[in-house]
Amino acid sequence: MLKYIVKRIVEMIPILIVVSILTFLFIHLIPGDPARLVAGKDATLEEVENVRKSLGLDKPIIMQYFSYMKNLVSGELGTSLTTGLPVIDMFKTRFMPSIYLTFLSMFWATILGLLIGIFSAINKNKWPDYLGMVTAVSGISLPGFWLGLILIQIFSVTFGILPTGGLNGFSSYILPSITLGAGIMSMIARFTRSSMLETMQSDYIRTGRAKGLKERTVIVQHALRNSLISVVTVAGLQFGFLLGGSVVVETVFSFPGMGRLLIDSISFRDYPVIQSALLLFAFEFILVNLIVDILYTKLNPKIQLQS
Amino acid sequence: MKGLKNFIFLFAMIFVLAACSNDDSTEPVNEPAKESTESSTAGDSNKPTSEKAQELVIAVNENFISMDPHNTGDTNSNSVQAAMMEGLLGFDAEGQIIKVLAEDYTISEDTMTYIFKLKQGVTFHDGEAFNAEAVKTNIERITNDSSLRLYSRGFSLVNGVEILGEYEIKVTLSEPYGPMVTRFAVAKMMSPKIIKESIEDIPKNPVGTGPYKFGKWVQGDYLEIERFDEYWGGGDRVDKVTFKPVPENGSRVAMLKTGEAHAIYPVPAQNQAELSNTKDVKVNSVPSTIARYVSLNTFSKPLDDIRVRQAFNYAVDKDAFLKVVNSGLGVPLDSIIPSKTLYYKQQQVYNQDIEKGKALLAEAGYPDGLEIEIWGNTNSDTMKGMQFIQQQLKQIGVTVIIKSMEEATLSDEIYGAQTPEEAKLKMWYVSWSSYASDVTNATKPLFHSESFPPNSANTAYYNNPETDKMMDEANSISDEARKTELYANLQDTIYKDAPWIFLGVDEILYGVRSNVSGVIVNPTGGLDVANAKIN
Repeated sequence: MLKYIVKRIVEMIPILIVVSILTFLFIHLIPGDPARLVAGKDATLEEVENVRKSLGLDKPIIMQYFSYMKNLVSGELGTSLTTGLPVIDMFKTRFMPSIYLTFLSMFWATILGLLIGIFSAINKNKWPDYLGMVTAVSGISLPGFWLGLILIQIFSVTFGILPTGGLNGFSSYILPSITLGAGIMSMIARFTRSSMLETMQSDYIRTGRAKGLKERTVIVQHALRNSLISVVTVAGLQFGFLLGGSVVVETVFSFPGMGRLLIDSISFRDYPVIQSALLLFAFEFILVNLIVDILYTKLNPKIQLQS
Repeated sequence: MKGLKNFIFLFAMIFVLAACSNDDSTEPVNEPAKESTESSTAGDSNKPTSEKAQELVIAVNENFISMDPHNTGDTNSNSVQAAMMEGLLGFDAEGQIIKVLAEDYTISEDTMTYIFKLKQGVTFHDGEAFNAEAVKTNIERITNDSSLRLYSRGFSLVNGVEILGEYEIKVTLSEPYGPMVTRFAVAKMMSPKIIKESIEDIPKNPVGTGPYKFGKWVQGDYLEIERFDEYWGGGDRVDKVTFKPVPENGSRVAMLKTGEAHAIYPVPAQNQAELSNTKDVKVNSVPSTIARYVSLNTFSKPLDDIRVRQAFNYAVDKDAFLKVVNSGLGVPLDSIIPSKTLYYKQQQVYNQDIEKGKALLAEAGYPDGLEIEIWGNTNSDTMKGMQFIQQQLKQIGVTVIIKSMEEATLSDEIYGAQTPEEAKLKMWYVSWSSYASDVTNATKPLFHSESFPPNSANTAYYNNPETDKMMDEANSISDEARKTELYANLQDTIYKDAPWIFLGVDEILYGVRSNVSGVIVNPTGGLDVANAKIN
């Protein structure tokens, strides 16, 4: 197992290098001139060129790439073109809030999603099933933007029990995590339900019942466990996406996370920030995948990790 | 069962771990210099709430970009800086020039020599004395670094800074530059110590002479400033102001309603009525210096014909524009500059006259109308504006094709053209704002033939040697009467030539709780909290 993990981590390096090259190329290929954006719209050509030079954007792309990578290897993420602050400083305050928000959202969404999924499956075509699926479909269909504003209206404006936004202790995480988790909970509920229904048709479930196992044991130990493989896959993917921050939720709740930072830096063509953020997301995504793979072996011992 | 248990356990563990370390890792990066004696910022995760009477919270629409006053382009960063740092000159509530750190100043006839007598007894927040030496350090910082915004805005022309006495300094320029007075008002003075010793701290921890000093800044979350008790100007104000970037309009409005924010800027026009009816909330409006227009490429067909451009102007109902696009706020743009701008002279507005528009178009050789593109960014207000223009021009038989592009792409499309011949731009729905005191910046970049893209923002490719001459002369003299005359002529000539579809001048809305006084927004959208109080 350990050997496998080490191998996977080593394998990350070439992937990340490829990602770094691709992102570097893409962000330089999209139209938009950071020097002009930094200089402002009333800047003269000469001023724009001055800015370009001082930002090092007048050098060939390949040189820019190597100097970026050189810095990266020595742990330097560079300096933001727009703020003049070290990129690492800009990440510091936003990275952890994004992580906590992701974990909190995933935490409740997974538990609730599983419960709804299981109850729907064992009560197939009865009212708990319909209720569960109505909840799930609503969760998927409500746009996060709208849901967020409604939650603010109810819990902040009308009742005044939760902050409208910002980041000020645990209470600031509640509304954003409800907004963010709603869709994921629904997705997990639906996957759990369909996967459970499929598993319940299997021979070994019939065998289990035939040999007189308690229904509870059949469902929890046999059906659910085998159904979890596909749920874990979905949850893992969602988790990876969430780590990249959510622009909508961060905007509605003025939450200082990575999503808005990335969007802001894209609109300013702030190359060093975009580059580092994308690299970080790629890293997180690969890491989550690795964890999902390990979880597979825990759920189904027949799955072996090849080292 | 074990799988599920493990799964949940793993999540729970990670979350608990994460939650435990919450406090350290959200620690702000930018805290004030450690010698700061007050401990009010230490571990202060409880940010101000409205109950604490002397802590003012203001929600603004965008993130702060930098606290380096010599290198700032965005309004919100400027607002915060203005509370902490002051220039030799400054602006009053109307946007006109006043003396701040200068006791007095004189400008030579040729507008190339500026002599400032400085205020005495002023100290920076770090205890350094404000004197001619400090001013010299600041001006030289700007003139020596071409990457700074202010360098390219006037200070590159500075060719001499001479200390005449401990509180007197002379600055000379290599050539006349009209808006230099405005630049001296924009260029905030920082402690010479931070410039000399820790220049890299400037963007995140500036030290000035203003009524507030820097508190702390958590990127993307909030920025706090604290009252500076030894402020030379005296006066009374709140202990602390917290600025929060809240880009979502609905959330910002909710903050004002719940009292989480004492003031919000801007108030979205569509929420004006709702907020005005909310208890304990006031909505104020300020006429701005933001001009909205459609620039018309006067270099290429069909807009090279003045009749076509005038026809376009006659096709548009300006009052309807304000009603439909600006939620009824603002006034028609009745000159080439907004009425708040220095030397403004009112013009006869092109009132909507469809028949006249059609006739002009037919006269120009387009009796059956024509088809033309309009460009703009992807902002929803811009889209609304472009659709309005499309609908209005339809009335004189002009088919407008809307092409909206993401801001940076749009800027590339426009400034990528190296010559007027290369320009693909026909019409651009856009706005321009400049300091009320800076008429040069409100005219030269937009109408001078030297300002064609990529050089500057004359996207109408307006080329008139006569008006070029007026702008050049007005820019190099200090004779007020002559300047007034020149700018009056300039406005008459260009307004008639119609290089734009003249639309409107924005009005800025901001909301405050009714127990708050002294929060003011000036015509450029800058917030002034120097005398802010909570009653």
